[in-house]
Amino acid sequence: MAGSLDPAVLDKLAGLSLVARTVVDGFLSGQHRSPKRGSSAEFAQHREYVSGDELRRIDWKVFARSDRLVIKEFDDETSLDCHLLVDGSESMAFGSLDWTKFEYARWCAAALAQLVLQTRDTAGLVLFDEVERKKVPPKTGSGQKHDIIAALEAYTPTGKTKIGDVLFWLNGRLRRKGIVAIFSDFFDDTDKIIEGLRRLCYAGHEPILFQIVDPLEMSFDISYLVRLDGLEAAGVHKVDPKSLRAAYLEELDAHQRAIATGTRALGVDYVKLSTSQDLGAALSTYLARRRARSRGGRR
Amino acid sequence: MFDGFVHPGLVIGAALAAVPLLIHLLNRQRFRPMPWAAMRFVEAAYRKTRRRARLENLLLLLLRMGAIALLALAIARPFVGARSALSGMTESRRDVALILDASYSTGWRDGVRTVFEREIERARELLSTLNGPRGDRARLVVASRVPHLLSMRTPEEARDLLDTLNAPSDEPLDLTGALGEVRQHAEELARGEGVANLEIHLLSDMQRSTFAPDVRAGANQPAAGGAAGEGTPRLFEELDRLKALGLSVWVDDLGPSVDSPSNLAITELAPQTRVLGPDQPVDIGVRVDNFGATSQNGVRVVLEIDGERRPQRTLDIAAHGSARLVQSETFRERGPHRVRALLESDALSVDDTRAAIVVVPPALRVLLVNGAPSSDLARDEVGYLQAVLEPSRGDDAVATQAAPFEVRSVEPARLLDSDLDLGACDVIWLANVENLQQRAVERLEARVAAGGALIISLGDRADPIAYGTRLFKTDGSGLMPAELIARSLVSRDERYWRIQEFEATHPALAFFADERWKPLLTEVPFYGFFETRPLADARILARFDDAARSPALIERNFDRGRVFLWTSTIDADWTRMPESPRTLVPFVHELVRYAGTQSGREPNLEVGSSYAARVESFPRKLMLLSPDGTRRPIAGEATTLGPGSWMLPAVTATERAGLYMIELEGREGLPFAVALDTRESDLSRMSAPELLALHPVFRMAGAASGPLRGDDTQSDQKGELWRLIAGLTLACIVLETLWAAWIGRTRSVRG
Repeated sequence: MAGSLDPAVLDKLAGLSLVARTVVDGFLSGQHRSPKRGSSAEFAQHREYVSGDELRRIDWKVFARSDRLVIKEFDDETSLDCHLLVDGSESMAFGSLDWTKFEYARWCAAALAQLVLQTRDTAGLVLFDEVERKKVPPKTGSGQKHDIIAALEAYTPTGKTKIGDVLFWLNGRLRRKGIVAIFSDFFDDTDKIIEGLRRLCYAGHEPILFQIVDPLEMSFDISYLVRLDGLEAAGVHKVDPKSLRAAYLEELDAHQRAIATGTRALGVDYVKLSTSQDLGAALSTYLARRRARSRGGRR
Repeated sequence: MFDGFVHPGLVIGAALAAVPLLIHLLNRQRFRPMPWAAMRFVEAAYRKTRRRARLENLLLLLLRMGAIALLALAIARPFVGARSALSGMTESRRDVALILDASYSTGWRDGVRTVFEREIERARELLSTLNGPRGDRARLVVASRVPHLLSMRTPEEARDLLDTLNAPSDEPLDLTGALGEVRQHAEELARGEGVANLEIHLLSDMQRSTFAPDVRAGANQPAAGGAAGEGTPRLFEELDRLKALGLSVWVDDLGPSVDSPSNLAITELAPQTRVLGPDQPVDIGVRVDNFGATSQNGVRVVLEIDGERRPQRTLDIAAHGSARLVQSETFRERGPHRVRALLESDALSVDDTRAAIVVVPPALRVLLVNGAPSSDLARDEVGYLQAVLEPSRGDDAVATQAAPFEVRSVEPARLLDSDLDLGACDVIWLANVENLQQRAVERLEARVAAGGALIISLGDRADPIAYGTRLFKTDGSGLMPAELIARSLVSRDERYWRIQEFEATHPALAFFADERWKPLLTEVPFYGFFETRPLADARILARFDDAARSPALIERNFDRGRVFLWTSTIDADWTRMPESPRTLVPFVHELVRYAGTQSGREPNLEVGSSYAARVESFPRKLMLLSPDGTRRPIAGEATTLGPGSWMLPAVTATERAGLYMIELEGREGLPFAVALDTRESDLSRMSAPELLALHPVFRMAGAASGPLRGDDTQSDQKGELWRLIAGLTLACIVLETLWAAWIGRTRSVRG
């Protein structure tokens, strides 16, 4: 997806669409009450009943005519906003495989955008590093998907990361409450990240952290002497990875644990995605878990 | 820190310690670049581990550098002196060279033990002070005529070898050779280790002739400090070399207690006159020397001929004098006869007997080739020759048996006849032969090449062109020792030539060396001879008194044989020599006898010499019977000399004096005698002060002083540290290996 979504990625998205058809309802439908509760809502469309839908929303007339269980959907119920925040800093340009973390994040964001937009919810995109670099305001419709994908395709990672600051900043800019899906490696100050998330939560948003990491970053399993050229102007270090690995992994683990602890305290979903993982499988696993959780009465 | 290095050049190898550092630095240049996002963790980890990793790596690097530097040092082999603080950790390994005087004089028995036995005991005593496990080395040199290096390794090996020595040799001592052997070892040590820490001990009977053969003559004494002057004997040169190496020779005096021990020795046993043939009396002379300081009277001497003892004779011999006993013997048969002389045994018994072989020569087979036969003896070319060589030809069988020559006369054409066996002729005399067919020349060449002798006398029939064509070759491949140029003839009424000069020492002409008989040769008139141009390797034995001093008698070796050219006639045509029997008889007899005597057959030799005998039938199963009765096969193959003539392989195992016998299957044995070099029989001793004054390299150890004077020899010794350093090197390598393994394991575990 350096220039466009390559066939492999499209395959992934195609697979994701299939996933969406089965799990998207569980992901979004009924999970978010309309902010315009009580007001008349305009009929939007029918859709197939899926397990977990409220019985009162079944269109019995259609059932009587066609013996099919369908749900009536109204505009108010699908007006959930999904804000896709993609980290476009230089650190996301790292990849030990054939693709970078940013490319992987792009696929994830595009997939979620497609899912959201399929359900007639609104989806918006923010590309950021230290500040907001590119924004596609939340909208619905097929044109929005193209806008989001075009913005993702056009972006090249650059600059330093300051996720916490961006979250502070976005908190005041997001007008409608919704899901805030953040795609980043989160290699930043954890306190600021957690603080930013806390503010989003207080503001009524539901942040979801998708941490995109490269398997080499996680293992630091390098058998030769390397000169590590830090992305985001992080300096240069000549190191013997063997002698450094243990301490590195300790530091990384502490960082991950800090994020996990902070998100758990806020009730925020924290999804670790390795770029070596199959994208469809990873997302569907998460969505399935989320749906199962919602059935269990949990948010 | 160190006093020096055995291999100073190898210290440079310590610079190789920089190699691990260089590798480390080069590795730093080989860091592969990699962009990295998670630098915050790298930096944190780096800050946390930097000090520890640096220490670990630095220690590893130091261990590697240390191992290499120490290895280089160990190879360079540093040493320190006794005063160094490190001296306690050095190895005080000792290199000792023991020179054992094994000459026959050490067989002198003083009471129950010989000097040689005392030397063995002393050597054991010295070896017991060495420590094999510590690395001490012992070099045992058994010295006699030739030094024998028996051991060059451990003291234990040297002690084992000592057990195998039970008697001295029958040879004299060559001290120079023995010291040279040890000096070479010292030089090897000096080359290999930088210093020649070699203790040299000479266990000797202090025989004066051994140390300073020239001292009694007062000549060739070295200058003060041992500097060798012109004409310095080899011994002093060798001693100077040892001194230059900083070495001393510790002399253990184990000889007799008196300065001039008495000793009688048979120093000569030989016929006093030439043995001409059987039934001719031969005077056998025995010389006995008294090397003691008191005269010896009534010394009993016994002569033993072919195993039969002759009546005992007595001699009175003055102190440091000699006496001779002459006994006339008549040998009935031709061939070798064993003769032994025996004295009453004294303290040195080996020189109280002496053996010799007296050879009664077989009749020489002489073939006269008559170039100008005549019925008149005086005109016949070989008439006089035959008369001279066979004066008793006739019916007297006894006289024929005893005759020294067997003469046969043929005409030149017979040389082509294959029935004529030239191999059965010791000497062939071509007398005034006009010409020879090629086939005859080839047969003559084969015979002479196989060891026969050819005498050519000329005359009016000799054709110089034919001789030049068939018998002379400028490259020396022909039989003639000289090219015939032209005849020189004068009228008997006008003038004559004489023999002006001749080689008086040559066996063929030695008879005329006596001033009484010299005129018999030099005053004989010659009226004709052939002018000749001798080959470069020809030997001119006699010359005429003409202006060109033309050769009269020329000798030249031809392969294994000899050729003589008499440039005048042997009959009365060109000379009046035949008219003078007093000239012709000794001239012809001596010339033919010398020509027919083959070299390499002298059966009397000295200890250590080799003996090669000739036989006339193919030798099989050669065995050597030694004087002590032992029998052993003779190594090597016989060499074919020609038809019916073989040279046996040389017998070199003649280390004992006495009678030997070469045994051959199917024929009578060939005896030969080996005699002592009796210079060793003079047991006069050198005193310790004399020895010390002789050369500064000598030091007296003093056998009676008991323990080895090791302190003196070791006080300035330098000890090596290489074992210690090699141990440290090994420790470094082991530590490095363990440390590297530990680091690898901990890092992988932490990882």
